[in-house]
Amino acid sequence: MTRSCDHYGNQRFTHLRQRKYAGQEVDAVVVGLGAAGGLILRDLAKAGLDVVGIEAGPFWDPASDFASDELHARTLNWQDTRLSTGQNPLRFGHNNSGRGVGGGTVHFTGVFYRFHASDFRTRTLDGVGEDWPITYADLEPYYAKLEEEIKVSGPREFPWGEFNGPYPYPVREPISGNAQVFRRGCEALGIRSAVAPLAILSAPYDGRPPCINRGFCNQGCLPNAKFSTLIQHIPQALADGAEVPSDCMVTRILVGKDGRVSGVEFVHDGRTYKQEAKLVVVSAFVVETPRLLLNSACKQFPDGLANSSGLVGKYIMPHSGHDVFAKFDEEIRLYKGTPVMAVSQDFYETDPSRGFARGYTLNAHGSRPVELAGSLAVNAGMWGKELNDTMREWNYYARITMVGEVLPSLSNYVTLSDEKDEYGMPRALVHFSYGDNDNRLIAHGVETCYQILEAAGGKRAFVIPDTAHLHGGCRMGTDPRRSVVNQYCQSHDIPNLFVCDASVFVTSGGCNPTETVMAIAARTADYITSQKYKGKLQPAALTV
Amino acid sequence: MASHRGLYPGYDVLAHKHEWDANTRQIVEKRLGPFSYKLLSSWEQSMLKAVAGHLTYEDRPEVLAWVAAHFDQELGKAIGESQRQPEVPPQKELVVAGLKALEEWAKLQYQKGFLKLGVQDQFQILRDLQLGQLPMVGKWNETLQRALFKKLVSLAVEAYYSHPWVWSEIGYGGPAYPRGYVRIELGLADPWEAQRGGSSIDAEL
Repeated sequence: MTRSCDHYGNQRFTHLRQRKYAGQEVDAVVVGLGAAGGLILRDLAKAGLDVVGIEAGPFWDPASDFASDELHARTLNWQDTRLSTGQNPLRFGHNNSGRGVGGGTVHFTGVFYRFHASDFRTRTLDGVGEDWPITYADLEPYYAKLEEEIKVSGPREFPWGEFNGPYPYPVREPISGNAQVFRRGCEALGIRSAVAPLAILSAPYDGRPPCINRGFCNQGCLPNAKFSTLIQHIPQALADGAEVPSDCMVTRILVGKDGRVSGVEFVHDGRTYKQEAKLVVVSAFVVETPRLLLNSACKQFPDGLANSSGLVGKYIMPHSGHDVFAKFDEEIRLYKGTPVMAVSQDFYETDPSRGFARGYTLNAHGSRPVELAGSLAVNAGMWGKELNDTMREWNYYARITMVGEVLPSLSNYVTLSDEKDEYGMPRALVHFSYGDNDNRLIAHGVETCYQILEAAGGKRAFVIPDTAHLHGGCRMGTDPRRSVVNQYCQSHDIPNLFVCDASVFVTSGGCNPTETVMAIAARTADYITSQKYKGKLQPAALTV
Repeated sequence: MASHRGLYPGYDVLAHKHEWDANTRQIVEKRLGPFSYKLLSSWEQSMLKAVAGHLTYEDRPEVLAWVAAHFDQELGKAIGESQRQPEVPPQKELVVAGLKALEEWAKLQYQKGFLKLGVQDQFQILRDLQLGQLPMVGKWNETLQRALFKKLVSLAVEAYYSHPWVWSEIGYGGPAYPRGYVRIELGLADPWEAQRGGSSIDAEL
């Protein structure tokens, strides 16, 4: 039997001499092989299209490239320097995108949530943000399919949102000390909690073993118990004939005389190559996707591709991700087990009595020494004896991390700076400041976390301000003047250009976004392979 | 291992290294030295050890040598530093110029080089640097002072908490592949993990 995760020995190559589609025009090229790009590549290959997926980073082999070490795991992150500014400059690296085949799924915590129906209708329901051009019902079949193919483990009953379980694979058991403390505190306060739905196996599947609670989900899973597109969708795409050049940085999307995109240019080891394609899908994440579209400006599109609205790079939103700690008399040992094993979404929906719109998810969240001491030092300003004393007793701390919705604002954006990188591309300049609603939501979330930890027997210790994830920058919509892509992630301006990753999010939601990124990607792949799209490809519907 | 300073006397993560995968073992063992430096001068190394000693509250030369070696490796990397404020120079330039600036500040305030100052005076300079309150010398305004402090503390702390002696002291089980953790619930620990106030089961048993 061939298993998806066994492909490394013969299908991975490190140079471009063995290229399959060199000098040929393929049906589609996908730029970036993370959560969205990996899935789209697989679905297009499965439908019989000739596809190339180009990835800026390496093609990892977990067994030889991953280690149980936080410093070493930096190589999985997108470390290229972004210029970061605003009142709350964002931190990148581990906080969001990955670099390498699998992208962020290689280092995500594996928490797998659906958005709630209200997330797609915040303007109508709460008078904030913007409505999406799709509803929960549009994504529902894709959510269900994904959970089934990934074998998401989760509780029999999940009390929030539209999907209430059961999940395909059994709930994770036992849960970590930190998750137990969280549930104890919630119970004392009458807050509902559940074991987390996780893209981490609780039983064997496809030659992969269940989780061994090693705890290094964010450093790359060594036993392959945690899902990533690296070990699931990419091998399936390869089996269906896709080609995956890695360590290849796409620097420009090419435009033909007819105003359609004709392929991409990419750099490998200092040399520039071209890949021609009938359609291009950009799945390079919220910073790199706008950067690539803007850097591809040409005579026909002087302000960048897909940018007639002027909104490429605009309305970016992280999640507020404050970490709240309390000290206990008993050892918690944050380093053990899958980092997130207990959660609550009791504060997810708008409650007018709280004084802000929208809400947040609470994740009981493990930690490791470099991450904890590093954020204490850099984000909370603690160092010297105080830091050393705190870390010496770090086994006695419990932690809850909030995942708070951040409202879209035109003044938060990605653009090109004057500084060039090693490829001669302008570095991204990212500007972010929280708004009033965001700050009120954070204050409420932090206080809720403290109350839960106190109810569990802890003493308030400290809060580390942080963010997680990133969304927006190429939002979807029905009006070409107010959005970048349509409901199928197709550019309003260029019919054979698709943008599909978290950048198409209209609002951020208040929970970990990976499942929604993938559900949107699956819907886009369905559209591309449908007759509906093939028909539309014929006329050159230029809007310039 | 040298003197043990934590709540878990007798616990030594390295006694379990034969249980780790070979890749991880090799990565961690390199932190014990010997170190070679490609970028930093011996004065810069001494400055970084002194500064990192304050930032991490550590005085063992073996541990500080690893911290300085980590600076040398990171500052020499071309991959990037994830993020940077537009008005702040790239990290190598920031740290190298920053060490010279620390020396100038020391001479300005105490008429002595930074390394010749007493512990209290060195500490005070770093405290002021964190708050951006040192006098402006050259281009070193408040933004650059704060950025320098953050870069120094970030690199020093991440190296320090990657040293296996420190893992032992804080009772961190460390690498756990391929064996993983079995007893993850409250009050439980695997027999090889750090036990409060006493030793874990010896790895040789």
